Amino acid sequence: MLYSPASMHIPDGYLSPLTSLVMLILVLPFWAAGARHLRQRSAARSVPLIALMAAFSFVIMMFNVPLPGGTSGHAVGGALAAILLGPEVASVAVSIALVIQAIFFGDGGILNIGANCFNMAVVLPYVAYGIYWLAAANTPITSRRRVVGAALGGWAGLTVAAFFAAVEFGIQPVLFHTAGGTPLYAPYPLSVAIPAMVIPHLLIASVVEGALTALVVLYLQHANRGILQAPLAAEAPAEAVSFRRLRLLWVGLIVLVIATPLGLLAPGTAWGEWGSQQLATMGLGFVPHGLVQLESLWGAPMAGYDLPALGNASLGYVLSAVAGIILVAVVAWLFSKLLSSGHQEQHG
Amino acid sequence: MDETIFDLRQVCYSYPPQFVALEDITLSVLAGERVAVLGSNGCGKSTLLKLLDGLYFATAGAVQAFGQSLTEAAFDDDRFNFAFRRRVGLVFQDSDVQLFSPSVWDEVAFAPLQMDLEIDEVQARVNEALSALRIERLRDRPPHRLSGGEKRRVALATVLALKPEVWLLDEPTAGLDPRSQSWLVDFMAAQGEAGKTVVTATHDLSIVDAIADRVFVIGEDHRLAALGTPQEILSDHALLESCNLIHSHRHRHLESGLLHSHPHKPLLAHEHTHD
Amino acid sequence: MVDSLPAHAPAPAPAHARHRRGTIERTLASVSDVMERSLYAEELAHRPGLLQGLDPRAKLVSLIALLVAVALSHSLLVIAMLYLFALGLAWRSSLPIETFTTRVWLFLPFFTGILVLPALFLTPGPVFISLTPGIAITRTGVQSAAFLLLRVSTSVSLATLLVLTSAWNDLLKALSFLRIPDTIILVLGMTYRYIHLLLITADDMFLSRKSRVVGHLSNAAERRMVGASAGVLLEKSLQLSGEVYLAMQSRGFRGYSHRATAIPMQRRDWLGLTVALGATAVAIWLGR
Repeated sequence: MLYSPASMHIPDGYLSPLTSLVMLILVLPFWAAGARHLRQRSAARSVPLIALMAAFSFVIMMFNVPLPGGTSGHAVGGALAAILLGPEVASVAVSIALVIQAIFFGDGGILNIGANCFNMAVVLPYVAYGIYWLAAANTPITSRRRVVGAALGGWAGLTVAAFFAAVEFGIQPVLFHTAGGTPLYAPYPLSVAIPAMVIPHLLIASVVEGALTALVVLYLQHANRGILQAPLAAEAPAEAVSFRRLRLLWVGLIVLVIATPLGLLAPGTAWGEWGSQQLATMGLGFVPHGLVQLESLWGAPMAGYDLPALGNASLGYVLSAVAGIILVAVVAWLFSKLLSSGHQEQHG
Repeated sequence: MDETIFDLRQVCYSYPPQFVALEDITLSVLAGERVAVLGSNGCGKSTLLKLLDGLYFATAGAVQAFGQSLTEAAFDDDRFNFAFRRRVGLVFQDSDVQLFSPSVWDEVAFAPLQMDLEIDEVQARVNEALSALRIERLRDRPPHRLSGGEKRRVALATVLALKPEVWLLDEPTAGLDPRSQSWLVDFMAAQGEAGKTVVTATHDLSIVDAIADRVFVIGEDHRLAALGTPQEILSDHALLESCNLIHSHRHRHLESGLLHSHPHKPLLAHEHTHD
Repeated sequence: MVDSLPAHAPAPAPAHARHRRGTIERTLASVSDVMERSLYAEELAHRPGLLQGLDPRAKLVSLIALLVAVALSHSLLVIAMLYLFALGLAWRSSLPIETFTTRVWLFLPFFTGILVLPALFLTPGPVFISLTPGIAITRTGVQSAAFLLLRVSTSVSLATLLVLTSAWNDLLKALSFLRIPDTIILVLGMTYRYIHLLLITADDMFLSRKSRVVGHLSNAAERRMVGASAGVLLEKSLQLSGEVYLAMQSRGFRGYSHRATAIPMQRRDWLGLTVALGATAVAIWLGR
């Protein structure tokens, strides 16, 4: 975060070591899936392919993407990698770029490699690929749906990734604090961290991610269709694999959403100790005006989120996470429905 | 000495889906020969070298090396693969492609390590190659901190560490300053004198005399256009012009004020007389 | 000489200056910043000094241990002591202390500082300073902000120590000490190497576009240009990966990496490692 242009890079110090460890464990199966995928094809050919794609991901993070209206930003490139390589391989390539960034930039994130890879190299590519696939499966290479799917995939992918980062931040003050109640790591609870991370991403960073992904897909449609033909590292026809992938993706993500806080709770930090009472007062007395508004912005459509009303923080958390996932799924589904009518006309 | 190293019979190669790079190439290279493959950019010279190095496989026809067929199946056998790789080394046109390791030492040691040589032997070979190319001082340098000429030397060292019998060089003088060019020609001559087989792909006519006993010319139609001694080939202006290796242009001579057109060999001294 | 390099304080340009620069300039600035920083790190790593003389394996393991100590500590004092420890190491390794500290403290507030500011008010707890009725800085808020700032800056300092005193290639080899498979180390090394090539390619590409642009590009035209540049870079990367594969095959690569056996660690390396692990143990115990 010190130098890295990618805004979602979590430096060391924001997360407890326990969280870092859990995130590292969560990301391992995805790395294993990527490695298995690569070995099936050709281990020897994979080495330079992954290295060059990781180098590309690294360099693409330097690109400044202008948005309409004068703002601009940097993309992570995870959505693009997913469309080109398939999500399994993309997560390996982006992870390697992130590892080099953590060590090379020296801006920390060494203990948090697991968390950063999980957000930007797992959640982002898998979600982006799922949405791209929903939008673009069985469409001709030059179809407009591919461009729109790429844009939406990038946008939703990074937004969901920001949501995960926010959850990682948000559980810190609840789980890790001194006896006197001082948060030891990231200080904001979920009620602040989620809107503070998700809303700016939704409006800017995710738009940049979507824009870059779509722009490159658009370029390739004109200049080099072969690259878009199939995920480059796929060994089987893209469609057959994709459907299984997609189901696995959603099931996996939902399981993770639920399992993450439970896993963190297991070591025995009690919610009650610093729980509902204090969480309830939070944001009532001390919140500056602007933040109150921000919070209400998020709070309004999700009234049930308010923890004390539920009386159970973890349930509230799980509900809000599930709601977020459902929201993205519904948007993607509506979108694909909307497009599929136009698509059938094209073929009919 | 007359042992055949490479033997190509009616070889075609096309890139998927249908781009033809080489068509109906029949040629052979004998042990200890120094051969130049001449052709303009894009005529298929690089493809030919990759066929000879068992990196590409002929789409039609047969490629043999050391009396054995070069096929994908043959290279799946590790023993065959290593035996062949030990004997044949390819210097790529783009040194950046060849230098993929984090330091010069690792780069030069890559091939000997792949061959499972003893570590002492690897060390010895690396040191030998570095000193032969006078680049010992670069050993810990990362490749992205090397100049173009240094990169070319390291690329040569990576092949030298293999101690190959056959050198394949793809446009070795391209992009080098004049001093490095002449040094490189000397290096190749020394390999030839040491009894190595040296196959050089180039469009630089000025070095052909120095590096080759025999010349293959590939035309822009991707077929073998001619073969002969350097003298025969270099004096055949019609051939060279048809293969886009020289061009004619009009210019005025200072002394006579005569305007005329004649063929030019790039990089050759531009002196001639008019009757 | 090295100290005068612009890279040692890779300053993000102030917001107002950035505003006026176009997409091309900003991308060029990011690219050259990365290149300069890597050059600077490589030069410092070859200076004589305490940490430069240690085996990178010892340094890597020490760094991770100390990072864990920083992350685990419940005591601000312990983290501050670890920060001073890092500072001392930087001094003994002849790193420019001013750079080392400003790099951390000047730019940290831009990100973590702004991020942590609302926490002063938001964190529930006894009132520390009351600004207006209803808005107060809490004692827990101040402590919590201090924890975050100190933890982040100490972690960054420790990581910086490792980066600035180790040649990248040695660091890479040290990773095998952590049981990271050779193939991954091979990929990491190649990635780092080709990042430099692609950075130069991107730099050339944007420079040539800049030289051809007269006046202002429209926003949409700039966007298309960025998309096309990224696309071209992608094509170049893929083409390179194919050629590199051939070059590796040509030298006998079959999909598994063979490395030279590592040189054993010296006595001083073990000593350094012991000191670092000792410091870690003490810090963890004190910071319980």
